[in-house]
Amino acid sequence: MPLASNSLSNMATRNPHPIVRVNGIHKYFKRGSEKVDVLNDLTVSVPEGEFLGLMGPSGSGKTTLLNLIAGLDRPSSGEVWVGDNLISQMSESQLSAWRTRSIGFIFQFYHLLPVLSAYENVELPLLLLPLSKAQRREQVTTALELVSLKDRMWHRPGQLSGGQQQRVGIARAIVTDPQLIVADEPTGDLDAKSASEILNLLEEVRKILNKTIIMVTHDPRAAERADRVLHLDKGRLIEDVVKATAGSA
Amino acid sequence: MKFLGLIVKNIGRNAIRSILTALGTMMLVFVVTLVWAILAFLNVALSEKNANFKAIITERWQIPSQMPYTYASTLCEGAATKPGDVRPMDSMTWQFYGGSIEKDRAKRGMNNVLFAFSLEPIKLLTMMDDLDNLPAGQAAVFGKSVKALQDNRQGIILGRTRMETLKKKIGDTFTIYSMNYKEIDLEVTLVGEFPEGRYNNSAAINRDYLLAAMDAYQQKNGKPHAMANKSLNLVWLKVPDSATLSKIASQIESSPLFSSPQVKCETASSGIAAFIEPYRDLIWGMRYLLAPAILVTLSLVISNSISISVRERRSELAVLKVLGFRPNQILTLVLGEAILIGALSGLISSCLTYGIVNFPPPYGFGGIKFPIAFFAAFSIPLAALWWGPALGAGTALVGSFVPAWGARSVKVSEVFSRVG
Ligand SMILES: Nc1ncnc2c1ncn2[C@@H]1O[C@H](COP(=O)(O)OP(=O)(O)OP(=O)(O)O)[C@@H](O)[C@H]1O
Ligand SMILES: [Mg+2]
Repeated sequence: MPLASNSLSNMATRNPHPIVRVNGIHKYFKRGSEKVDVLNDLTVSVPEGEFLGLMGPSGSGKTTLLNLIAGLDRPSSGEVWVGDNLISQMSESQLSAWRTRSIGFIFQFYHLLPVLSAYENVELPLLLLPLSKAQRREQVTTALELVSLKDRMWHRPGQLSGGQQQRVGIARAIVTDPQLIVADEPTGDLDAKSASEILNLLEEVRKILNKTIIMVTHDPRAAERADRVLHLDKGRLIEDVVKATAGSA
Repeated sequence: MKFLGLIVKNIGRNAIRSILTALGTMMLVFVVTLVWAILAFLNVALSEKNANFKAIITERWQIPSQMPYTYASTLCEGAATKPGDVRPMDSMTWQFYGGSIEKDRAKRGMNNVLFAFSLEPIKLLTMMDDLDNLPAGQAAVFGKSVKALQDNRQGIILGRTRMETLKKKIGDTFTIYSMNYKEIDLEVTLVGEFPEGRYNNSAAINRDYLLAAMDAYQQKNGKPHAMANKSLNLVWLKVPDSATLSKIASQIESSPLFSSPQVKCETASSGIAAFIEPYRDLIWGMRYLLAPAILVTLSLVISNSISISVRERRSELAVLKVLGFRPNQILTLVLGEAILIGALSGLISSCLTYGIVNFPPPYGFGGIKFPIAFFAAFSIPLAALWWGPALGAGTALVGSFVPAWGARSVKVSEVFSRVG
């Protein structure tokens, strides 16, 4: 079973073996001839199984950091380790293959393909893996069951509510059984009730599947669900809040 | 292929645009198919068989060619007079006799007219293209018709279509009221039919009957018929090789017998070549300007449509990349879309073209009338069935390459971190 459930062990305590290690990274973008520094000498480490929140004002570099951790971009200098992989040194095609297996993405605007059904959207990353149709079907159904959308699996995104679309997004993120799930403002486009449902679901994913989750958010109520919240400002870490209640929400 | 479903769904996303692209492709493939079919036809017509081919003798300066019938016997011998002159292997004379089975001029029209080759019946078996190498079964049946025409000089042989249009069946006797041989109306009996194929619309009568009718006219009126001196339209000669042909041609052209009017001797392909000579620039233009221009247009049409679709989907393509689709897989998806549309519409187009042009009425045109020399009609070659999809797919590949390359190079970090 790819989506094997796991116990809650070593969840509340900080795992001594971090799954993500960001070592002294710098990131700048070129705008014309000008260099814009976005991240400055940033060091972060995320233990396995942690639910980490990333907060900060707009433009502070949250998405940029998330992209570096998820292997969508490479730092200007410094190292990014995920598990045993030094992803800051990987080539683009190595990163592609690595992302499929190791990272689940959840976006603010869901980014489901409108022409595909919920089922097909969730199946999409599996098409890149050497799986038979039957194997894919099993994994897709399991993932859709977990987000309670099995009865809607032949609906297209346009026929689903925002909350439901985000649940499909979550199913797509977990279907390849990745170690790490990154979410960029997953509740940013949702009303309070749907947002809370999505957060419940993320907690469940973390608990049942023992995934590590990194979530960027502007919403203090969303941040409350995290074990730990990092605050970014102008590309620097300014606060590291660890909550006593982590893991028991 | 696992991605096929995805490609098909993307094509279906903007059905109107896909259909318009497909229709555009179909139109252009249709035009190119026609142009190529004509060029292919000319190629075949212009290429000479190198053994046992036929030469045609016609009046040198006039179209239509009209020679005195007195030329016939000497021309059939290749104008061989002296020892050492060469003779053709076989020969055939053609006189065109046209008329209508309707006496009343006002009522004459396509469904009652008739153009017949007036010839020596036996030559139908040895000198007529395609009829000289019929499959055994057909040859036996047609042989009976020819025999009947030989035995009954008032007979006529018709092609199937002509028979149906005229509403005549074997054994019927009817009168043909002539249009080009004034007052030489012929009562004929339908004694046989041409084999199914290129002679479906043709008719053949026994030349003895026409000649006798002209003699009778002269006796009755005390002067020869107006056509008496120009009733021979063509003489066909069969020669073993081109050396013999040029020998015979020079025998004929140097002979004093054929001075008024003068004659010329050429092969079917040289005849056609001479006939299309004035159109050379046109044909050159069709081959090297029109066809390529259409292909370029076609790839631009596809390029445009794929560009729009890629631009609309930038963020979707970026999502695919985020999920781990490699740049070349994205390229394949986009190219696949274009090629699928191109190949499918090309296939549909060439099948329709093939069917509509080639199938006999009422389904199609039964070939396109092409009045070059003596070719009745030309049809779309079977090969056109793969030209269509190949053209469609090829131009789609060329046209979509640039937009597909753009899609391949979508940068995910740019698409997702656009902040003030
Ligand atoms: N691809 C890029 N090219 C140029 N500049 C970029 C690029 N991506 C991000 N930036 C700049 O880097 C800075 C940080 O952007 P980032 O998207 O990480 O901010 P953020 O914290 O996620 O903001 P928000 O909360 O609004 O999403 C911004 O000033 C942004 O304009
Ligand atoms: Mg952001």
